[in-house]
Amino acid sequence: MQLRTLPRVLVLLLVLALALTACQPTAPKGPDAEGGSEIDAIDLTGKNIEVVLWHNRSQSDQDLLQEMLDEFNASNPYGITARAEIGGASYNDVYNKINAAIQGGTPPNIAVAYQNQAALYRSQDAVIDLTPYINSTKYGLSAEDRADYFQAFLDSDANPQFQGEVLGFPTQRSLEVMYYNQDWLTELGYDAPPTTWEEFEEIACKAAQEDDKAGWALLHEASNFASQVFARGGRILSEDGTRYVFNEQAGQDALAMIQRMAANKCLVEIPVSERYGEQNRFANGDILFVFASSSGMNYYADAVAKAGGFKWAVAPLPQSGELHMNLYGASMSVFKTTPEQQLASWLVIKFLGEKEQTTRWAAKTGYLPVRASAKDDVIAALKANEKWASAADSYAMLFDWANAGMVESPVAGYDGVRALIDTDLISKVINDPNADVKALLDAAVVKADEILKENAPQ
Amino acid sequence: MALKVRADRWFGRLRSFRELSTVRQRRRLNTLLLGYGLLAPAVILLIVFEFYPLFSGFWISLTNWRLAKGDYIGFANYARALSDPGFWKALGITFTYSIISVPLQLGIALLLAYLLFQKIHAMSFFRMLYFMPYVTSTVASAAIWAYLFSPDIGPINRLLQSMGLEGLRWLSETRGIFQIMAARVGVDLPAALAGPSLALISLIIYTTWVFVGYDTVLFLSGLSNIPAELYDAAKVDGASGWKLFRHITFPLLSPTTFFVVLITIIGTFKAFNHIYIMTRGGPGDATTTASIYIFNQMVTYNRYGYSAALSFLTFMVILLLTILQNKIAGNRVVYD
Repeated sequence: MQLRTLPRVLVLLLVLALALTACQPTAPKGPDAEGGSEIDAIDLTGKNIEVVLWHNRSQSDQDLLQEMLDEFNASNPYGITARAEIGGASYNDVYNKINAAIQGGTPPNIAVAYQNQAALYRSQDAVIDLTPYINSTKYGLSAEDRADYFQAFLDSDANPQFQGEVLGFPTQRSLEVMYYNQDWLTELGYDAPPTTWEEFEEIACKAAQEDDKAGWALLHEASNFASQVFARGGRILSEDGTRYVFNEQAGQDALAMIQRMAANKCLVEIPVSERYGEQNRFANGDILFVFASSSGMNYYADAVAKAGGFKWAVAPLPQSGELHMNLYGASMSVFKTTPEQQLASWLVIKFLGEKEQTTRWAAKTGYLPVRASAKDDVIAALKANEKWASAADSYAMLFDWANAGMVESPVAGYDGVRALIDTDLISKVINDPNADVKALLDAAVVKADEILKENAPQ
Repeated sequence: MALKVRADRWFGRLRSFRELSTVRQRRRLNTLLLGYGLLAPAVILLIVFEFYPLFSGFWISLTNWRLAKGDYIGFANYARALSDPGFWKALGITFTYSIISVPLQLGIALLLAYLLFQKIHAMSFFRMLYFMPYVTSTVASAAIWAYLFSPDIGPINRLLQSMGLEGLRWLSETRGIFQIMAARVGVDLPAALAGPSLALISLIIYTTWVFVGYDTVLFLSGLSNIPAELYDAAKVDGASGWKLFRHITFPLLSPTTFFVVLITIIGTFKAFNHIYIMTRGGPGDATTTASIYIFNQMVTYNRYGYSAALSFLTFMVILLLTILQNKIAGNRVVYD
């Protein structure tokens, strides 16, 4: 190519590239949420709507999910065809994929989403408020259904950032619990797990006196910190969702304890690069206490059995007053499409929340079912499973604690705050025994509030 | 008559000239069409996968793009980046990472290449051995090194403890290495003298392990291009050992050295995978390099526009460094 033609070609490339840039798709637009009566008026007969659901579970869970959806496809009177797809290996994978799909204008009909993720989607006008669908006389939940659901689970999806809009619906949940090595605890002279924080620290430090042992596994994870704040009677976000409050007394006490226990070598820090590092150490009998999700109970049972076995159990984290636990588990959010597709999506979710489906799902995955009436069937199923039978008694206790669940922060931008809690708080106090806990928390809350403001609905 | 003949001849020439010219034009057109036709696939690929993302990225950097398309805000993201202490700190960590990594890698690689260039037993085996870390999956090797560095179960600390030494926190340590050394002898160093964090040094150890083999291979190819007769002539003149290296090997290896320095510096500025796997940029922000910072701004904080602006600024820094390096080192490179 001659030199004088080069600028022309470059100009042509520039124009083409800019033209392509200008042609990017936008997020889909649809009608706003309607009232329950308007939902009642939608007729799905003969519409034969297809619904795609993205989740983050393994292939065997996908098989069960699709099996249940096939039953729905065969039984629903509207010809709705639902299809489950693995959107990624983790909630974050699905979240990243949906972010890209929203930009590309191709989100699925339904996807698993944490409350804060759903809020972010809502801030982009990509998901809908499910209130009118839940309230619909024709398609919604009956009074019996509502009474059967754990109230804390239903409440967890009402988003304070969007005037209580319900941006997801629960089909599974779990709680942050304290796993403890019962045999070791007895050896140390205690016949029950600690119920106060003072007792917890004392026992953990006693356990850490043995060579290569630690009393507690500390994870670089905001949820671990949040669970402690809840158990101490505090909150991460104010109830109205307008400001972060984890710098209050409960947060200070939690962070000070982490700092003290790190300085006294009572805990072992699990490196971020080690997945399930706390579970492996616990199974090997190297750690006395671990705070982790109840959904991992089956895996703990398996790991402990493989490593030789000892008696273990779960309990709520030590408390400072009324029982408060960290409630985990993503809900199902419905993306904005046509009124018919949105309604069909709601019917799929409603089906998955029914007793039979939530029981099968819980027995397979280790999550809690969303209905109290599922308790006996799930526990019976777990007991019948040789691999997980040892966890069944611990699992049964979760039903008593389910309504004590609290959500960390259901607002958009919480992922950034989670990162802050690790980088600006946990990592700092572990590395500096003299760091001013209150000053760190105050500074982190200022940053967190800036993130909250940045992500506030326009 | 003669005039008519002359005119016919003249018009005949003109006609044949026109025909010739048309044929030439047609040929030229065909050649051009063929040329552009052959170029088209590459140009289309360049437009779609290079220019479009580049201009798209630049456009995004001028907006407050979050999940969906944002409003045009001019150069506000760039202004914000220049006053963002987090970004400056990340650039500082990247410079530190680069300043320590590059000489360390190149020094070891040059030494290894020089040794492997000698006629030693099992040379091919050693060449393969040093190159293996480079061809090993980053995810796998980084995960293994993270385990080696584990404070409580890692073999490195076990080894230190077996020798009666205290284990280190390696990837979890935010304190500077000089601070740690001073603390061992009871001296409390001020933050300004703390030095790079042990977590960053641990990453540099991994980086060196991975890339030394690659750099060694490049140096080996450079060494093999140096004519043997130069060494023979120098030996006849009484030169040996260090003098041969100083006056023949090092100058004639300069094009390779220049290239290796260039790609290593660019590589350290782009480093992401192993840092993300081993530390995620932590503990705190001790290993948050520019690339990790940009990634976090996009994925964790959903600041797509801002992270695009940060990417362009980092690109400018790399470009400036490359130009600077060309200016400083370019004249000293001996090509013949």
